[in-house]
Amino acid sequence: MRSLDRYGPAALGFGGFVLFLVVVEILIRLGLINGYIVPLPSQVIVALERVIAEEGILPRFLLTAGEALGAGLLVALIGIPLGILLFEADLLRRATENWVAAFAAAPIVLVYPLFLVIFGRSSWTIIAIGTVAGLPPVILKTLEGLAGVRPVLIRVGRSFNLTPWQQFRTILFPAAVPTIFAGLRLGLIFAMINVVGVEFLINFGGLGPLINELSERYDMPATYAAICFVVLVSVLFFLAVERIEKWLRPAS
Amino acid sequence: MASTGVLTSSERASGWRPDPVLWVRLAIIVGVLVLWQVVAMSGLLYQDVVPQLPAIVAALGRLLVNPELYRNLWVTLYETVLALVFGGVAGLFVGIVLGGSRFFGRAFEPYLYYLGPTPKIIFFPVMIMWFGTGGGSKIAMGAFSCFFPVALSVAVGMRAIPPILMRVGQSFRASPRQMVQKIYLPAMREPVVNGLRLGFGIALIGVLLAETKLSNQGLGFLVIQNYQRFDMPAMYALLIAIFVLSMGANAAITRLTSRSAASGAR
Amino acid sequence: MSTATNLHQVSRKGAAAATGGQPILTVDHVVKSFETPQGKVTAVDDMSLDVRQGEFVSVIGPSGCGKSTLFNMIGGLLSITEGEIAVAGERVNGPHPSIGMVFQEESTFPWRTVEENVAFPLEIQGVGKAERLERAQHFIKLVGLQGFEKRFPAELSGGMRQRVAIARTLAFQPKLLLMDEPFAALDEQTRLLLGDKVTQIQQELNQTVVLITHNITEAVQLSDRILIMTYRPGRTKRIIDIDLPRPRTSEIVGSDAFGRYVAEIWNDLREEASQGMQDEEALAQQRKRP
Repeated sequence: MRSLDRYGPAALGFGGFVLFLVVVEILIRLGLINGYIVPLPSQVIVALERVIAEEGILPRFLLTAGEALGAGLLVALIGIPLGILLFEADLLRRATENWVAAFAAAPIVLVYPLFLVIFGRSSWTIIAIGTVAGLPPVILKTLEGLAGVRPVLIRVGRSFNLTPWQQFRTILFPAAVPTIFAGLRLGLIFAMINVVGVEFLINFGGLGPLINELSERYDMPATYAAICFVVLVSVLFFLAVERIEKWLRPAS
Repeated sequence: MASTGVLTSSERASGWRPDPVLWVRLAIIVGVLVLWQVVAMSGLLYQDVVPQLPAIVAALGRLLVNPELYRNLWVTLYETVLALVFGGVAGLFVGIVLGGSRFFGRAFEPYLYYLGPTPKIIFFPVMIMWFGTGGGSKIAMGAFSCFFPVALSVAVGMRAIPPILMRVGQSFRASPRQMVQKIYLPAMREPVVNGLRLGFGIALIGVLLAETKLSNQGLGFLVIQNYQRFDMPAMYALLIAIFVLSMGANAAITRLTSRSAASGAR
Repeated sequence: MSTATNLHQVSRKGAAAATGGQPILTVDHVVKSFETPQGKVTAVDDMSLDVRQGEFVSVIGPSGCGKSTLFNMIGGLLSITEGEIAVAGERVNGPHPSIGMVFQEESTFPWRTVEENVAFPLEIQGVGKAERLERAQHFIKLVGLQGFEKRFPAELSGGMRQRVAIARTLAFQPKLLLMDEPFAALDEQTRLLLGDKVTQIQQELNQTVVLITHNITEAVQLSDRILIMTYRPGRTKRIIDIDLPRPRTSEIVGSDAFGRYVAEIWNDLREEASQGMQDEEALAQQRKRP
C-alpha cells in the first residue's frame, strides 16, 4: 500500500511516457501517422547511437557548454554587482527596477542579428546573447535577496557598531546568498537556453547547428534523435545546476 | 485591484513637487543618448554598428508610416494570438489536472518541470515538417513554447489555493456544483491569469524567432531582412518598435485581466 | 483546591433552565483513532459533553491533545471512530445545518468583499442577492465592521478578517457556533477586545458556543464552563463551572475570582503541557540522529 503510494505516480509517469512511444510506433506502422514526417521511435533510438558516434558530439557539446559557461560567468560578474549597486543606491533602484523587470519580459533574443553585425558569426555573438538573456534574473534576485534581509539581523549588526562595509560583508551579503544563488541558477539556465537557441538560429557553434545539418539532409530519424539529445543535455544541465545550487547553498 | 481610496505615502507626498525618481530616469535616458551620439560621431566603433541618433530617428519615422510594418505586425500578432489559444488552452487543461490531483501531479509534473527550461526553438525543423513553411509552423512553435510555462504556473497556482477555503465551503454545506462555481473557479482565476500573461510573452518570442529562421512575413522576417540589407538604422528602429509593442501588449494584458478579475469578484 | 469546591456550586442562570435541559450538543463517549505506519494512534478517547442552549463552553488543552480533532468531528468534517455526536437531537454525520464553524486559519475568501464574504452562506442557501446583502449587513454591524462592506480582506487587519469570518458564520444562523482558536494569530490586547465583542454578540443572540482554545485567560473570560483535556490521548480531565457575573467585560481579568480560576486551570494543565513538551523534545532528539 505504502510502496504503491510512493512509486505509483513515478511508475505511471514513466509508463505513460513509454506507452506514448509504443502507441506512436504502432500508429506509424499502421500507416495512421505519416512515417515520413514522424519517424518510428525505434528508428530514432537507433539513430541516436549513430548521431552520437558519427557527428562529433563531444567537441560540439564542449563548445556549447563552453559558450554557456562563459555567458554564465559574465552574467554573475556583471549581474551581482549591478544588483548590489541598485540595492545601495535606492533612488537608482526606484528609477530602474521596473525597467529591468520589463527587460526580463521582453523578447531580448531578437537582438541577435544586431550582435551578428557587431561580433560577426562567432562564439562571441552567442555568448553575448546568453549574457544579455541571463542578466535580468540575477540582477533582480540579488536585489531581492539584499532587500529581503530580515530587519532584525540588520539591527543586530547596528548594535555591534559595525561599519557599513562590515555590515555588508558579515550580515547583508551572507543573508542574501541563498536568494542570489537562486538568481544565478535562473540566469545560467536562461543563458544556456539562449546559447543553444541562437546556435541553431545562426547555424554556428556546437549542438544547435547539428539539428540544422541533419534536417537539411532530410535525415528525419537523426534529426529527431539530435533534438532528443539536445533536450536530454539541457535537462541534465538543469539537474546539475539545481544540485550544485542545493549543495553550495548554506542551510537557511 | 479595486480602488481603495487609500493613498500610498509616495502618492500623498507628490502634491506637485517634481519626483526625484523621474529626474533620475530622465538623466539616465539623456545620458545614454548623449553617450551614444558621442560614440557615433567619434567613429570609435564602425559607423554601421552605432549609427547617429538622427539617422535612427529618421528610420523610426519612415518605419512608422510604412504600411509594410503594419501588415507584418498583424501577421505576427495573429500568429501569436493563435499560438496562445492553442498552447494556452492545452496548458490550462493540463495544469488544472496536474494541480488538482496530487497523484497525476506527482506522475507527470516532473516531466514538464524538467522539459520546461529547454530551448524550444530547436523543434522548429520538426514543426516545419508537420505544419509547413507558412504560418502554421510559427503558430505551432509559439504554442509549443508557451504550453510549458502556462501548464506549470497553473499547476503551481492550483496547489497554492489554501485548503481551508474548501473546508469553509463544506462547513456551509455547499453542493459539489457550488464548490466548483463559488470556490474552485474564483480561487483559480489568479493562477490562470498569471499563466496566460506569462504564456503570451513566451508565445511571442517563439513566433518571432521562428519568423527570423524561415519566413517571408512577420516582424521577425522584417528584422532579418534589415540585417541582410545591412540597414542598421532601420534595424534599430524596428527593434525599438518591437520592444515597445511587446511591453505595451504585456501592460495591456495585465490591465485587462486585473480589471476582469476585480469585476468578476463582484 | 478548596476554592474549586467552593465555586463548584451549580448556579447557571436562566438559559439552561428555560429549555428544560434539552442539550443543543451531545458528545457521547466519542473515540477517534487513526491508522499510521507506526500503528494505531488514539487522538480522542472516550469524551462526553453536553452543551445547553445559550451556554458558552470552552475546550482547553495543551497543543497536540486532539482539540482540533474534536472540533472537526463535531463540525462533521471528520468521521467518528466510536460513540456519537448529536446536534439539536440529530446525529452528526457530515456538515450539519445547525452548526457554524469558525476556523483558526485565515479563511476569508480573498476574491470577495466583506459583504460578499458574509453573504456567502446565504448565497449557498439560495437567498436572493438583495435580501442576502441586507441580512449580511446586520451581521457586519454585529461584529462592528460597518463602513468596510466593500473592502477586500487583503485591505483589512488580521483581527478584522477574523471578525469577517465570525460574521460569515453567524449569517449561517447556526444553533451551535463552533470556533477553533479563532484568535490564535492575534495579539493579546486585540484578543481581549475581540473577546468582549464575542461575549456581547453571544449574549445578544443567546448563542450557544463551543470554543476550542489553548489560552486560559480567553477561556475564563468568555466561558460558562471549561472542559480541560488531557494530553494524548485526549480525554476529559475535568469540567469547571466559571461562576463569574454576567454581563462580563474584559475588565474581569483583574478580579481575584478570575485569577483564582486561571491558577486552578493552570494547575490542572501544567502536567499535561509538560508531558507534551517532553514528547516534543524526545521527537526532536530522534530527528537529530537519523
